[in-house]
Amino acid sequence: MIERGDLELFGRSLRQAVDGATGAELDAALDELGWIDVVRADPAAGISLLFSLQGRALATSSALDRLLALRLGLEVPAVVLPATGRWAAPGTVTGGRLAVDGLGTATIGDAGAVLVVAEDDGSATTVETGSLDLHPLPGIDPALGLVRVRGEVALGAGDRTGRVDWSSAVAWGQLAVGHELVGASRRMLELARRHALDRVQFGQPIARFQAVRHRLAETLVALDLADAALEAAWLDPTPESAAIAKAVAGRAGRTATRHCQQVMGAIGFTTEHDLHRYIRRVLVLEQLFGGTAPLTRHLGEEILDRRRVPAAIPL
Amino acid sequence: MDLDTFRKSLDDWLDEHADELAPSFPGHGSVELQQEQIGKVRRLTYDAGFARWGWPELVGGHGGSALLRAYLNEALAARDLVETGLYALSEVLGPSFITFARPELSAAVVPRLLRGDEVWCQGFSEPGTGSNLAMLTCRAERTGDGWRVSGQKVWTSLAQLADRCVLLTRTGTLESAHRGITALFVDMDSPGITVRPLETMHGEPEFCEVFYDDVAVPFDRTIGEEGQGWAFAMDLLPYERSTALWQRAALLHRRLQQLVEAAAPGALDPVALGEVVQQVHAFRARSRATQHRLASGEDLGSATSVDKVALATTEQALFDLAAAALPDEVLLADGPTAGRWRKEFLYSRAATIYGGSAEIQRNIIARRLLELGPDR
Repeated sequence: MIERGDLELFGRSLRQAVDGATGAELDAALDELGWIDVVRADPAAGISLLFSLQGRALATSSALDRLLALRLGLEVPAVVLPATGRWAAPGTVTGGRLAVDGLGTATIGDAGAVLVVAEDDGSATTVETGSLDLHPLPGIDPALGLVRVRGEVALGAGDRTGRVDWSSAVAWGQLAVGHELVGASRRMLELARRHALDRVQFGQPIARFQAVRHRLAETLVALDLADAALEAAWLDPTPESAAIAKAVAGRAGRTATRHCQQVMGAIGFTTEHDLHRYIRRVLVLEQLFGGTAPLTRHLGEEILDRRRVPAAIPL
Repeated sequence: MDLDTFRKSLDDWLDEHADELAPSFPGHGSVELQQEQIGKVRRLTYDAGFARWGWPELVGGHGGSALLRAYLNEALAARDLVETGLYALSEVLGPSFITFARPELSAAVVPRLLRGDEVWCQGFSEPGTGSNLAMLTCRAERTGDGWRVSGQKVWTSLAQLADRCVLLTRTGTLESAHRGITALFVDMDSPGITVRPLETMHGEPEFCEVFYDDVAVPFDRTIGEEGQGWAFAMDLLPYERSTALWQRAALLHRRLQQLVEAAAPGALDPVALGEVVQQVHAFRARSRATQHRLASGEDLGSATSVDKVALATTEQALFDLAAAALPDEVLLADGPTAGRWRKEFLYSRAATIYGGSAEIQRNIIARRLLELGPDR
């Protein structure tokens, strides 16, 4: 744990860095600030601070790769993420070959080598990016710069590690993306609130209409609950608590997109206003490290299987 | 006393005294039985010292963090030892009463509330003022030897069993709105009080109409100063939306587990179940954070409206799921277990109405937390 005063100072510097830079520039700024050392000392603080800011600023970085590598205990510049909507490891080992089907963050092309964890045996293999098919995915959110990572490589003797702790890495990934979702959604709420106060119809700001107020109130409730679930998961970041928090954050993000876009009216549907960028980001983040729907179904099936609900969060 | 030590010793004590603490009736029970059970549990936990932690020494408490109190409430709900809605009245009324009432009055009466010697009720709502509390009309006139109270209250929970009432009265003009309100501490056996229980949809006369006809209340029973009633009410409502809800979170967790155990194979849709589990979890996480903020002395005020919206939404979702998975129990079957599912399902319909409706909570969130300006 880090002292509260030091964290506040760090948070301010981090905010400046994230507001001022994105991509490789932000990575350099994070190195200078020693962000990964803060994560080592206090994962909850380091990860929640950076990713909620990154969401607000719509910034990108290789922070997700770095925290996954840290959690897996391996020195690699990039880690292949699970495929869209999934949280299972992206690799499959069969007959001495490793097949890969996953996603990469924007910086993966410059990484040289990536880490692929295999779903079946839990091993990790460092693979040269040149031997994989990296296909850019502008999709619905070009600014995020995700890349499809596919391919198959032969495994030499000693290429693979033993079983790594993928589920703990997933838990950190889910919490990081959860914070980013809430960060982007809170910014959306600010934009919609500003619009509601400025936009005059029938001789008054539309913020006076209860239908508008209640949509924004509903959004705040959803985001506050998501933050609470994320915060509680950091008390004991088990795969289950992190997956629940991610699902709650994903659903809250979708609630925010629905209500904020409606409150913004037609201007929120144009590219002249920034709202669409946040909507795009939330839609994609919701599908990283487990979409809300499959996470929810999986949780329900697990509970029915063992006939036991997850332990209650202790006071 | 730290929380972990308290938790351990309370859990051990509750296990040791399980037989003594257990309700004498199966299932949900009537309001009278529930209140009798609450009285018994209060007395036993007070005499064993547990119910005194987290309350100031002035009222017979042992001091210490409010988290200790929260844990006691949680443990009682998690074991189904008390009906949480009725039990929570001490959490709702106690803290603000101590803040506003004369220390001598608090010292004399609050220990009796905590030990279960007395039942208190909360006389706020009126036929003409539900959500619009500032326009209440139940009148208290100043006379030579005290207040004379005349008017009508409604939705007063437990009034038929209560020894005292924390009553909001109008002492100024109606135009003075929230400024002309004064809180009084009234003995329910005073001449001139008539209580008429109201039959509710869930089958228990949990709340009442109360008529006050020229009821004498001594001046030294004024809670705070004349005209401070609104401040008292505004201090109190956040407790109604925070400390009381942590206990509710414990209850919902228990019911969810019972639902999973009771449902026939295939009766619970995994997606619907997963979502309700996530909701219950997130509500509990929020309520936990609120307990910690309150215990560290933060003034939460309007932020507790988020907790109330979350509780109401979650509770209804949980009992909707129960009704879908256990339709025979909830709708038709006899017996105490089915009876409890039925009563709690029906009671959950009121979660978006009592303690400030879902609409009022969203108005508060919009006005105070989002600062969207006035709505008219």
